[in-house]
Amino acid sequence: MQIYLPIAEISLDALVLLGLGGMVGFLSGMFGVGGGFLMTPLLIFIGVPPAVAVGTEANQVVAASVSGALAHWRRGNVDVRMGVVLLIGGFIGSTLGVWLFTFLRGIGQIDFVISVSYVLFLGIIGTLMVVESVRAWFRSRNPSAPRRKLHYHNWLHGLPFKMRFRRSKLYISALLPLGVGILVGILAAIMGVGGGFVMVPAMIYLLGMPTSVVVGTSLFQIVFVTANVTFLQSVNNQTVDIVLALLLVVGSVIGAQLGARVGTKLRGEEVRVALGLIVLAVCARVAWTLVATPDDVYSLGIGGRH
Amino acid sequence: MAARFLFILVVFAIAPPAHAQRLAADLSSKEVAISTGFSGAELLLFGATEGYGDIVVTVVGPLRNEVVRRKQRVAGIWVNGASVTFYEAPAYYRIAATRPLKEIAPPGVLEKLQIGVDRIELSTHSKRSPAEILAFRKALIRNKKSAQLYSEDVSDIRLVRDLLFRSTIPFPATVPIGEYQVTVYLFKNGKPVSSQKTPLPVRKVGMEAQIYNFAHQHAAWYGAIAILIALVAGWLAGVIFRRA
Repeated sequence: MQIYLPIAEISLDALVLLGLGGMVGFLSGMFGVGGGFLMTPLLIFIGVPPAVAVGTEANQVVAASVSGALAHWRRGNVDVRMGVVLLIGGFIGSTLGVWLFTFLRGIGQIDFVISVSYVLFLGIIGTLMVVESVRAWFRSRNPSAPRRKLHYHNWLHGLPFKMRFRRSKLYISALLPLGVGILVGILAAIMGVGGGFVMVPAMIYLLGMPTSVVVGTSLFQIVFVTANVTFLQSVNNQTVDIVLALLLVVGSVIGAQLGARVGTKLRGEEVRVALGLIVLAVCARVAWTLVATPDDVYSLGIGGRH
Repeated sequence: MAARFLFILVVFAIAPPAHAQRLAADLSSKEVAISTGFSGAELLLFGATEGYGDIVVTVVGPLRNEVVRRKQRVAGIWVNGASVTFYEAPAYYRIAATRPLKEIAPPGVLEKLQIGVDRIELSTHSKRSPAEILAFRKALIRNKKSAQLYSEDVSDIRLVRDLLFRSTIPFPATVPIGEYQVTVYLFKNGKPVSSQKTPLPVRKVGMEAQIYNFAHQHAAWYGAIAILIALVAGWLAGVIFRRA
C-alpha cells in the first residue's frame, strides 16, 4: 500500500514503514533503548532524505519515550534536579545542533556529518558494550577476580559550581551534567536520536548516578530535548514528516510491548552482547556507504538558494 | 476523453483549411494531482494536425537552481567537494517527437528553441574551466535522468494518417511541484511552422497539500502539533498496554 509522504516527498509502502517501526520498536522494548539510532539509518537506507529522517525521528522518539518517562515518574525514579540541569544543557545543545544542521545542509555536508557521527558513536558504544558484557560474563565465571570500583575521583570532581543532587546522593559540579546535556542535545539534533545510548553510560560512569534513577532521569530529559529538536527542525528546515512519524509510532509502540515481554526472559549479559552486535552491524553498514565508491561521484544538492 | 478526441476529429473534418499549419492538442488531465496514494502518474497528450510534418512535444518543469556536487576521496572517505550551481534549470524535462530530432530540424533551429536534453540552457556563475563546467552539466543531466526527471529524447510519437498524434508523459513519484509547460511544435521542412503551449500545474492536493502548506506557512504551529501528537500517541499507547 503506497503512501505519499508530504514532507519527504517520496512514495513508500505504508506496511513497510509499520513493519520497520514494529521491528525497531521490538528491539528497543527488548533492550530498553530508544531505537532512534537504528531507525534513522534504516529510514535513510529505504530512501528517506537524511534531513527528513533525522527531523522525523526526533518526533518519533518523543512518542517512544513519553510513556516510559511517565511510568518512571510515577515510581519516583526521576531525579528532577539532575534532570533539569541535564535539560538546560540539552536545550542549549539541541538548539546549537539544529543551527549546525541548517548550516551543514546549506553547504552540502549534512549527509556526510550524519554518517560520520553514526560511525563514530555506534562504533564506540557498540565496542564498549560487547567488551563490557564479555568481561562481565568472564567475571561471573570467575568470582574471585577483583571487582572494579564504581567510579573514580578525578579532576572532574574539582570543577566549580557544586550542587547537591539528593535523589542521586551526589554532590558534584553542575557543569558535569550540563556538559553531558549539551553533548546529548547536539547528537539529538544531528543524528535524530534520543541520545540515551550516550547519556546512560555517561550518567553511570561519569556522574556516578545510582542505576535506579538513571533510566527515568534520562527518559525525562529525552522527551523534552527531542520535543525541542522537533520544534526547531520544523521551524528552521521543515523536515518533520508527521505522516511518516505517525506510521513509525504506531508500529513501534506495538513492537516495543512485545519486545519488552521477550526481554524479561533473557539474561542481562546476553542481551547486552546482542545489542552491542546490532549496534556494530549498523555502524559497519553506515561506514560502508562512506568508503564504497559511489555509482556516480556527482550528486544533486537541494536548495541552491542564493 | 474519447469524446474530446472525437470532437477534435469532427472540428478538423468540417472546418475549411484556412491555414495551412493548423495544430490542436490537449492533455488527458488538466493537472497532476499528488494525493495520499500518489506513486507517479502518466498523462496522455493527444492532438491533430493537418497535412504532413513532424510533431515535437516538450514538457518543461518549473525552473529552479540546482547544485551539483562532486565527491572526492579524503583519507579513504568520500566527501562532497567541488560544487557548481546552475541557475534556472528545469526541474523536469521531457521530449518526444515523431522522428529522431536531427532528422526533423537542423541543430541551429533546435538550439534556439532549446529542444533536446543537451540543448537545455543552464547558466552558472562558476569560475571553473569550461571543460569542468561541462562535466558538471553532464552530471546534472545524468542524475536527473536516473531520477526519471529528465528523459532521453524519444521518437515515439506516431502520426496517424498525417492527422492524429498521441504521446504519453510519465511523471515519477518524486515529481517536483510547480507550473509545467507543455509545448507542441509542428515542423515542416525543418522549420517550426506552428506551436501550442499548454500550462500543466503539478500540485499536492487534499491532505498532502494541507500538511505541506501548513508545515511551510505555519512552521511553529506545525512543530507544536507534531510534538502534541507524539505526546498523546505515546501516552495513549502506555495506557492501552498497561490495561491489556
